[in-house]
Amino acid sequence: MEMMNELMEKYFRGETSLAEEKELKQYFLSGNVSPELEIYRNLFGVFDQELTEKAVSPLAKVLPEQRKTKRIWFQSFLATGIAATIAIFLWVQLPPTSLNYTVIGGTRIDNTEFAQRYAAKKLSKVNTMLARTMSPLKSLNKVRENIEPLKNISDIRLKMEDIHNKLQIK
Amino acid sequence: MESTQFNSQILNHSDKLYRLAKSILRNENAAQDAVQELTMKLWEKRSILDEVENIQAFTMRSMRNLCLDTIRQQRDEDEIPVDFEYVELNPYQQTEQKDIASKIRTMINQLPELQRTIIRMRDVEEMEIAEIAFITSISENAVSVNLSRARQKIRDQILKEQKRMEETIWK
Repeated sequence: MEMMNELMEKYFRGETSLAEEKELKQYFLSGNVSPELEIYRNLFGVFDQELTEKAVSPLAKVLPEQRKTKRIWFQSFLATGIAATIAIFLWVQLPPTSLNYTVIGGTRIDNTEFAQRYAAKKLSKVNTMLARTMSPLKSLNKVRENIEPLKNISDIRLKMEDIHNKLQIK
Repeated sequence: MESTQFNSQILNHSDKLYRLAKSILRNENAAQDAVQELTMKLWEKRSILDEVENIQAFTMRSMRNLCLDTIRQQRDEDEIPVDFEYVELNPYQQTEQKDIASKIRTMINQLPELQRTIIRMRDVEEMEIAEIAFITSISENAVSVNLSRARQKIRDQILKEQKRMEETIWK
């Protein structure tokens, strides 16, 4: 126990080696931590958790959100998505003579994995932009729904005028 | 550098590059963009990458420089800072933030850029002091000093937080 306390002091002074720091991590993540060092357990937990953060393609994040939207939005999304795909396809110009490479922004790319990741990232950006651009349109639908009852006002007005005219005649 | 080498030595380390960019920029989307921009630049310059001794340290250094350039450029152009997503919490919000892990993450994010980069490179990525010195373009001694300061600050804040929680319990 005393050894761990000393190691922690050394750690805070920035004097521990990588091997000693690994020992500390193992100790704190083991779950068997002394009460006086317990307050530092979360610190090592945070470091361990941050290591799991990955540079995933935002496509995965965008797709589930699309499923939640209404059918009409999905259809609009699909149509604009197809248009965007065609636009990107034109932008990532495929050379007519060979399919072994592609050109992105004037740079020749013959690395398939890299080109795919690049295209996926661009597509996801277009999707995100579309989602952002289209979200205000949802409010328009709400406005339209709320305006619907107002159409009856003209009928009511006509009926009132009719009643008024009849009353005047009498 | 061949495609396969590029994939194994650079693309396969994109998670590490992303974490570094996110730590500096404090914005997930900007960090993703930075990773893409850097890999694109490295792909263009792949012919000279064979001459680089430590590719990982070189790419990490390039990523840090790219992120710092982004921040500098936005400052010069008076644009909305890239880390606008990151909001420093006021004392009330800090009290409300119940999860201790979130509090620690906030403590790290509030450190100066150099210190939070160094503490994460050491404690998350487990990098050698010499590598960190190369990436941050400072001496190994300066890395140790900054690492110590960063850890001390976090320790002080954890102790302060502990004291505050104890006082709340006994009130």
